[in-house]
Amino acid sequence: MNIGKTAIAAVLVTILGACGKSADDKPGKTGGESIAVFTKNQTNPFFQTVRLGAANAAKQMDATVIQYIPTVQDSIPEQMNEIEDAIIKRPGAVVFIPVDSKAMVAGVEKLNAANIPVVNITDKVLGGQTITFMGCDEVNLSVNTARYLLQKLNGHGNVIILEGQGGSQNSANRVSGYKKALAEFPNVKLLASQPANFQRVKALQVTENLLQSYPQIDGILAANDSMALGAIEALDGAKRKALVVGVNGTKEAIDSIKEGKLLATGDCDGFMHGCLGTMAAVRHLRNLPAPKEFMVSLKVVDKTNYTGMDVPYEQRMCPKWESIVRNN
Amino acid sequence: MKARIAGLMLLGIVLAISSPAFLTVTNLLNVLRQASLIFLLASGLTLVILTAGLDLSIGANLGLSACLVGFAIKSTGSIPLGIAAGLACGITIGVVNGLMITLLRLPPFIATYGMLWMVYGINYWAMAGNTIYGFPAEFRAIGSGYALGIPIPVLLMAACLIVGGVFTRYTTVGHEIYAIGANAEVARLSGIPVRSRLILVYTLSGAMAGLAGVVYLARLNSAEAGIGDPLLLPAIAAVLIGGTSLFGGVGSLSGAWIGAVILTLVLNGMNLRAISGNWQPLITGVILLLAAAVDTAARKRNEARA
Repeated sequence: MNIGKTAIAAVLVTILGACGKSADDKPGKTGGESIAVFTKNQTNPFFQTVRLGAANAAKQMDATVIQYIPTVQDSIPEQMNEIEDAIIKRPGAVVFIPVDSKAMVAGVEKLNAANIPVVNITDKVLGGQTITFMGCDEVNLSVNTARYLLQKLNGHGNVIILEGQGGSQNSANRVSGYKKALAEFPNVKLLASQPANFQRVKALQVTENLLQSYPQIDGILAANDSMALGAIEALDGAKRKALVVGVNGTKEAIDSIKEGKLLATGDCDGFMHGCLGTMAAVRHLRNLPAPKEFMVSLKVVDKTNYTGMDVPYEQRMCPKWESIVRNN
Repeated sequence: MKARIAGLMLLGIVLAISSPAFLTVTNLLNVLRQASLIFLLASGLTLVILTAGLDLSIGANLGLSACLVGFAIKSTGSIPLGIAAGLACGITIGVVNGLMITLLRLPPFIATYGMLWMVYGINYWAMAGNTIYGFPAEFRAIGSGYALGIPIPVLLMAACLIVGGVFTRYTTVGHEIYAIGANAEVARLSGIPVRSRLILVYTLSGAMAGLAGVVYLARLNSAEAGIGDPLLLPAIAAVLIGGTSLFGGVGSLSGAWIGAVILTLVLNGMNLRAISGNWQPLITGVILLLAAAVDTAARKRNEARA
């Protein structure tokens, strides 16, 4: 029995080894650098846009990307294993989104010890050596998004907040941004702030429940677009009206804005994170400079300025580095 | 069963006292509609667990079925074809599970856990992080419409409860499912076609997951690859809270219904009271354990009396 299992394991190792061969790095020449891109999960469309941006930038710069995505979403041990796998494969550089800002410091330190340069994007890792951080200020993004909705309410009314997963940094940042904006509007009452785990179906149910206990809800601040769209389904089902905003600028959210259902979405431009991060990594390998930190510009997308954002990401192109990153 | 209904009533009374919005017709219909999704998943799973089996692939199955329904409606414009595609997907996954368990003799946990990953894998690959959304109103009525003032998912749940209840209680095949769970070897020796009955329960479990996928898509108007992940454990919990034994042979569909309603009530109650998110997981855990403890205590007392 053990011989059988060992044989199966040996076959698997051989197959997986053969699969990995093509990804080997070819050092010592410009072009063909391999960049390992680490994202948090396969489910959130935001990270898909990051991956597409990375792939597009690599293509433009004649480099290759290998995507590392945990199969269990946001899994710390799995991303740690993937870092160890990457160290064995030795990519030229790593473009890194930590599944957890604190826990993955150890992962960055492993990459540092293996002398693989790390470009940190989207969520800042709170330690280790990185060439640059390129992302956006989520708190600020949420403040702007909420402010937009609260101004549309003329500074009066009742609102609810739909929080993301408990313990998630993204959720904490966005909810704190929403609450900061609310503090500027003393005549707006926050009725409830309830978790819906970034999930559409949970947001639908939580909103349905809140609609039962509050006869008047004027605004809904959701910590991502999926929850905002779930909340809109609940409002439609109950034949109630409220202004709803989300965060992420997903294509579905843009289409909902076009239909006049979603009021706005805060966009932090994941595609651009992927583009710039990969470009910074390739530039580093080619001895070109990158700023120590670069904040991608934020945008509150509404019915007046969505043009261009409804183009499928597969058809978009990364902009030229110089047109975005100046003064370096 | 009496103890479980009493537990449910107790929870209902506590909620009614704590929030005036709870005991209204709209809120009760709201709770039932929310419970229907978990119940549809849990109903097929109940049959599987009655045979002392397990089906871990139902969440992934729901996700793939929903995406397939979406894809079929988008590409052909036909709603019946879309629904058929979703049910066919669910049934196929169920049949393959049944064959792996009966012909290859894989333990149900392993067979359906492997299937979970394969189905996720196919769905992740096919959807590539995209979302499929925006369906015609006639289709969406399945999830968000009403008939005779009652939400259609609630009617589906009631139909499933009645048909399933008659099937498990009053038909020979239903009795055979219990017998297999009680003791598969004895069932085989007494002439029950164990293999075909097992294939049947896994097929029904797959079919119900496919149906749940249809209802999910109709209700949310949108599907992506990972939508089934968060529904698997609540579905298993609903079956077990309802008193169905993981060891097989004991349990019922109405139990799974009570389990699904209890799970939904906990969220409903916390939202109505606007309890802070920091406390919600802890409170959920405490209420579920209390419900289980009350149930166990009541059953022990019944046994002692008998």
